[in-house]
Amino acid sequence: MFEWAARYIDWLGMSPVSVVTTVFGAFCVTFVVIICWSRLVEDFGAIGGMLAAGIIVGTFWVMNHKLPGFGIHPEGIPHPDGGWKQFGLIYQGFRGASPWVDMGTAIGAGLWVCGLCGIPKGRKLAMAAESVPRLAAAIAGGAIGGAIMGLVGWTGANLFGYR
Amino acid sequence: MRLVATAIGGAICGALCFGIWPEMWKTYGIMGGWITAAIVISICWYMNHWLGIVWNEPGRIWVDQGWAVSSAGIVWAMVRFNSQFRHAVPGVLCCLAGGALAGIAAAQVKKYHPGFQPAKAPSNPKEDAGV
Repeated sequence: MFEWAARYIDWLGMSPVSVVTTVFGAFCVTFVVIICWSRLVEDFGAIGGMLAAGIIVGTFWVMNHKLPGFGIHPEGIPHPDGGWKQFGLIYQGFRGASPWVDMGTAIGAGLWVCGLCGIPKGRKLAMAAESVPRLAAAIAGGAIGGAIMGLVGWTGANLFGYR
Repeated sequence: MRLVATAIGGAICGALCFGIWPEMWKTYGIMGGWITAAIVISICWYMNHWLGIVWNEPGRIWVDQGWAVSSAGIVWAMVRFNSQFRHAVPGVLCCLAGGALAGIAAAQVKKYHPGFQPAKAPSNPKEDAGV
């Protein structure tokens, strides 16, 4: 049964087990962030929020995004299928060829849905529409920052023989 | 103007995450990734959500810097490694589904769990003091 569930689906770029692990990893980190982060801030103020960054996001990074390999040998463990085995719950699709899928997606979506659930009936649509420009600004800002960060691969510098 | 501030906060957060995280992981392994979360996300959270660079008001739907990290990760990999956007779609949809489920579940917890109810007059002042 596991072999059937672990078969690679070409059009999806992942196997059914990867869908399960991705949804579960996204669920876990989002639930913990929504429940714990605001309470840590209430209890400890700004220190609580900065603590939460380490103990929630750091810990769930290990669960969701850790990559194979260890320390200064990050090339990973070669897999017979080609590519490298992934150990994080959030699967990077198409055997790691997909653009980086981050758990921030899940956290943002979860906080948005949680906020929507907390708004009284009849005002949900108006408040959802109100959030769209702010959402678009955050996403556009992230895209700009990410694009500029990605440009460092194209600067043409060949320092220390690094290609 | 607050929308511009939101975009700037998102850009800084996304650039920090994907400038530092892969290098720290490659250098120090799992512990490097953990430490990166502690230093990058903590200062980004302090700027974006504690000081309020990302535009949020009480009583409105929360817009998180996670959206910025998400789009930054996708665009960063597309620019740097020439990966295709359509390859990210299944993973993003899975993340959105998992996150939305957790949001619904957490909203129910906040609604019904006794630990999350607003403080009311304590029936037994000794036990409930300070809640």
